[in-house]
Amino acid sequence: MEQSGTSSLLQGAVQDLASAVVSALRSGDHTRAAAPERAHAEAEDLALAAVRVLGADALLPSTLLHTPPLPDELAVFRKAVEAYPPGADAAPTVRWSHWAMRNALRRLDPGHADAPHQEPDAAWLESATWQLLTHQLAVLAALALPGEDCAVTRAARQRPVDVARGFVRAVRRRDWRQAAGAGRWLTLLEGVPQTLGLDNGLDFVELMGGQDPLVALHVSAARLTRTGAFV
Amino acid sequence: MTATEKVTKDLTGIQSADIEAALDPAEADGIFRDSRECAALALFKGGFGLLLSPPTPRPKKG
Repeated sequence: MEQSGTSSLLQGAVQDLASAVVSALRSGDHTRAAAPERAHAEAEDLALAAVRVLGADALLPSTLLHTPPLPDELAVFRKAVEAYPPGADAAPTVRWSHWAMRNALRRLDPGHADAPHQEPDAAWLESATWQLLTHQLAVLAALALPGEDCAVTRAARQRPVDVARGFVRAVRRRDWRQAAGAGRWLTLLEGVPQTLGLDNGLDFVELMGGQDPLVALHVSAARLTRTGAFV
Repeated sequence: MTATEKVTKDLTGIQSADIEAALDPAEADGIFRDSRECAALALFKGGFGLLLSPPTPRPKKG
């Protein structure tokens, strides 16, 4: 499908930011791309939009590695949260992505005065087929964090076999992003069939799709979760 | 504003709709593995058994 110029630019900016997050996860450093140097206004807008699309994962190194985010990282993140709230008729994934960002701010920004906010509705996941469930969870993989407890994580916990089936389906369809997102969820779930071979599956997804920074990000997050390196 | 500047502005004028579309993507079309990749799967540490299950038999014509 042909993308508009804006869409292509945005996707490129999201990929650049995801690359920076992967580098930070591997090195333990900060995510410099989340705090772009002052440039012209359009570039700043694009960077801000990229942070909003990558969502809470823009601060993933701080979340998983417990490295306090830099003040300018937080400032950009907060600005993205405020600049792009979900619209009145926004899809559930848009609402949950925004919720996850606000949650990350509350967790990582001691000066942030936002009160606990109500979770969006998650009923659409309860009635979802295993294929749709896996797709939606993969889109919301930023919520797949150790210790996270929300309606989406509870829905995933109730259906580990369905997510495992969805992971295999995504690999067979060569949908590496979905496979990586589903694999990231599976590292958190109990009751995943041993026959799945998740570790080898994640290696395979990285081998085949790891040149995509979003795939690399989810696989890196899954490995950190798997090894408990964040503890 | 020059034409180039206008194009740049148009291209980078991110709208909320662009962001919401990126956050609610449709599922990508499936691309199925060819035999070379099947072989790669078979060799890949020998530990990803589920993916190597044979395809569903199809009824023969005639």
